[in-house]
Amino acid sequence: MTARKLTAWRQWPRDTRDTLLLLAVIGWTVLPHLGHLPAWCGALTAGVLGWRVVLTLHGAALPGRWPLLALMLVALGLTWWNERSLLGREAGVTMLVVLVALKTLELRARRDTLVVFFLGFFLVLTHCLYSQSLLTALAMGVSTWGLLTALVLSNMPVGRPPLARAAGLAARSALLGLPVMAALFVLFPRIGPLWGLPQDSAGRTGLSGSLRLGGVASVANDDSIALRIRFEGEAPPAEALYFRGPVLSRFDGVEWQPSFRSLSRPTRRAVDLQLVGSPLRYEMLVEPIRLPILPLLEATPARPGSAPELAEWPLWQGLDLLWHTDRLVNERLRLRAQAWPRWVLGADADEAELYAQTLLPPGYNPRTLAWAQQVRQRLAMADARTLAAAVLAHVRQNDYVYTLQPGLYGRDAIDEFWFDRRQGFCEHYAAAFVIVMRAMGVPARLVTGYQGAEPADADGFRTVRQSHAHAWAEYWQAGDGWLRADPTAAVAPERVRSSRPLPVAPGLVGGALRSMSPALADQLRRTWELLDSRWSQWVMGYSRSQQFNLLERLGVQQPDWTDLLRVLVGVLSLAAAGGALWAWWDRRRTDPWQRLHSKLCALLQQRGVAALPHHPPRTLAALVRAAHGPAGEPLALALDALDRQRYAPGSQRLPKRSWWPEAKRHGAALPAGKAPG
Amino acid sequence: MGPVDPPRLPRGLALVPDAACKARQRPGKAGSAAAAGLKVVLRRRIRRWFENRLPRSDSWLLTQANLYILPTKAGWGFGVTLLVMLLAAINYQLNLGYALTFLLGGAALVSLHQTHGNLRRLTLHLRTPQPVFAGDAATLEVVLDNPAGERHGIGLALYDAPPSALAWCDVPALGNSTARLRFTPQQRGHQALPSLRAETHFPLGLFRAWTVWRPAATVLVYPAPEHPAPPLPAGLPSSGQEQAARQGSGGEFEGVRAYRRGDAPARVVWKKVAKSGEMVSRDSSSSASLSLVLDAQQCGLPDSEARLRRLAAWVLAADRLGLAYALRLPGVDLPCAAGEAQRLAALQALALWAPR
Repeated sequence: MTARKLTAWRQWPRDTRDTLLLLAVIGWTVLPHLGHLPAWCGALTAGVLGWRVVLTLHGAALPGRWPLLALMLVALGLTWWNERSLLGREAGVTMLVVLVALKTLELRARRDTLVVFFLGFFLVLTHCLYSQSLLTALAMGVSTWGLLTALVLSNMPVGRPPLARAAGLAARSALLGLPVMAALFVLFPRIGPLWGLPQDSAGRTGLSGSLRLGGVASVANDDSIALRIRFEGEAPPAEALYFRGPVLSRFDGVEWQPSFRSLSRPTRRAVDLQLVGSPLRYEMLVEPIRLPILPLLEATPARPGSAPELAEWPLWQGLDLLWHTDRLVNERLRLRAQAWPRWVLGADADEAELYAQTLLPPGYNPRTLAWAQQVRQRLAMADARTLAAAVLAHVRQNDYVYTLQPGLYGRDAIDEFWFDRRQGFCEHYAAAFVIVMRAMGVPARLVTGYQGAEPADADGFRTVRQSHAHAWAEYWQAGDGWLRADPTAAVAPERVRSSRPLPVAPGLVGGALRSMSPALADQLRRTWELLDSRWSQWVMGYSRSQQFNLLERLGVQQPDWTDLLRVLVGVLSLAAAGGALWAWWDRRRTDPWQRLHSKLCALLQQRGVAALPHHPPRTLAALVRAAHGPAGEPLALALDALDRQRYAPGSQRLPKRSWWPEAKRHGAALPAGKAPG
Repeated sequence: MGPVDPPRLPRGLALVPDAACKARQRPGKAGSAAAAGLKVVLRRRIRRWFENRLPRSDSWLLTQANLYILPTKAGWGFGVTLLVMLLAAINYQLNLGYALTFLLGGAALVSLHQTHGNLRRLTLHLRTPQPVFAGDAATLEVVLDNPAGERHGIGLALYDAPPSALAWCDVPALGNSTARLRFTPQQRGHQALPSLRAETHFPLGLFRAWTVWRPAATVLVYPAPEHPAPPLPAGLPSSGQEQAARQGSGGEFEGVRAYRRGDAPARVVWKKVAKSGEMVSRDSSSSASLSLVLDAQQCGLPDSEARLRRLAAWVLAADRLGLAYALRLPGVDLPCAAGEAQRLAALQALALWAPR
């Protein structure tokens, strides 16, 4: 029954087929969003699209306006409930998906269809908010092709044009437009964001300038790439790779923020940093991370030869070793730098600065503070290093669990975490460690950044994703300065050692392939990642600096964005002129048969044959025979042959190319004459 | 007194009573309805001015000179969508977003040329239209001749028809196809055909290319037959003659003769035809002498157009009955005859009659 229905698609009326095509394209476009949208949105969209398919197949009437409005309000309410806002990326994409799905239930007039097309194109665009990988690009390409095909179909009102024909026409339009697209892509000036973007409320792994515990029940693994690094010489192991981000030492009981001192550029004194051992040279590609910092490898000092240098990007290093930029990093940056894996920071820190890093807001987490006091009393004479070891041992020996879904924590989040639930991810462990250390009177602070990297690809680049974002702690030991302590490593050493924080369950196909042939799966994965890496570097990483390099190679001295605009306008004008030229040339084109016929008439008239435009070749042959007799026979025979080419059964679409030169030769053999009349 | 012709309004004013009617239904929107009416009137004025500048021609080759192209509403909507997409790409620094936006922009630009090229180089011809009665729809057959590749989605309509009235057709490569349009002439005589427009939105519907063609051909329009019409007048010169004629076409007849082209089916002796296989008709030479004369004077109507309409109805009635008839109009005297040729001649005379 179902099989018969499936093969019966050829008998569907055209409207049914076109509507189903549009629904399929929308379904395909929404599909990749399901991973990061709330479950209700996916269910609602699937339900609405399924309902629409059933209505289409049965030719039933569409629902009225009120059910749709009710569904829309429900979706609005659920979005508000999920996101606590209707602005922002997540809420916007959720609403867009729901809107497109509901609009398909309202395809009454042509205008409604157009609205679906335009919303659909915008929906395709929203995919690159999440990922700009090659795979995403391919999926978006398919979506765009499908939407264009549906658009072409809606402008072919006659009969039942085959889908393949419409798809071909859509592809033709898009492919012919590729030169325009390439010119615009290469030359359109890359300018910064035009206005501030609403912050996203959903938790996701990644860096931000501050840290707040308890507000987020779970975090999604954001697999987008934060940076890529390639070492010259031997690469350190993954667990030794700490990329330093914002250092948070100010705590108000709820939120951790950077100290005021670390936010300003140090003027009076240099960073108190002693480097030990030999440096590592590395090359780094920083993706647009939308923070005014560069997460460089610890510890990259600000000294000539090892500090990164970027044209147009003034950089400075704070007292806490963090590299700052003067604006948000919103384009891909490529830099080279040198880092020392061993260093001593802040050995001579002043008392006032250290004191500020032992402060805790009163009234928060009383049980943790009391517990810390107990430990302190037990180890009254111990130094900071011993105390830290004792705290880490406590974490190791008790049943603390590392999880990305710790649930919501209340006001005294650390109390709850440290004593009751014992579930959390790096932020919980690091924050609890810092609070305990401070409660024991040891200066301590929270460091955020990235930790770990994937194995090198074929180009030697190691990828660090947003899911590698990490938080660890630093405490101050007299004589040794700031020492790193990673309490997450105490509870989940594999988080720090392995390339990925938590292995994501492989997909169905990937899992099957892996169980059958791990080597092949790895080979495929590596090839794919290499392609993806090239794509990412040369296409997605195309930025203003590459644009200016291109202009310089074209001979523009010190290019700026007005030069880009000028070149762009020039190229587009050329394209427009080309289009006009084509139209002009096209105007003069005629039917090849007619063109041949007019040439033929001109030839025959020169040879004294009264050829007229309406004479078919066979009449012309008779005229040639009458005018020239046996001398004209070859030409007459050729004309007869032409007549057969044109009119005989199985005639050709176009005249044979060799015919005209031959006829011309025969014609030249005839005596010239004036056509009578 | 026969029925009176409805008053014939100039075309530009035809919509005014309509607008007034709307204003009565919705008093609150009287102003906007009047404004809409004014807009329609203005648009028609502009159209007519434009139309009158066009030459009349038998065939219409579409070139850059007579093709116009503008974005459709969908095109503007698409432009706004692209702008929003570009803003999103700029604000979120999405190179893939730029790529998608520019891909669609490129496709739109290409579709501009494709839409124009979809009409360019086509030739429109008109088949000579068949005569019609005023008030009936005449069928115009427009042949689209294509010297190049396949064309899709070409719509034809009268110049001022709404988009829903477009007759859509595809034209095969190096071939032609025919679109049929209907238009209803209101006046008798040789009527100029209305201007036609051909338009296309193919392939993406973002642009609309169109042309306006004033065909040079005319259509012959007969007067609309009066309906219901009074019975045929008594035959002239005496009333007995008509009865004889009716008898003649009834049971008693004088003899048979070979079928002549134009004999009415009622006159054919079908029994004999069935037997012999030859077409034979009743020989009613005597009934021919008892011919019916349709005279404008007989109608008893004061209005000449009404007289013509009644005469047209009588011509059709007499023809249906297979009678021979003569037609007399001031300045026209059509001798008595029967059959198709007589009908056409009579109707043409009625269509073209002009008072002296």
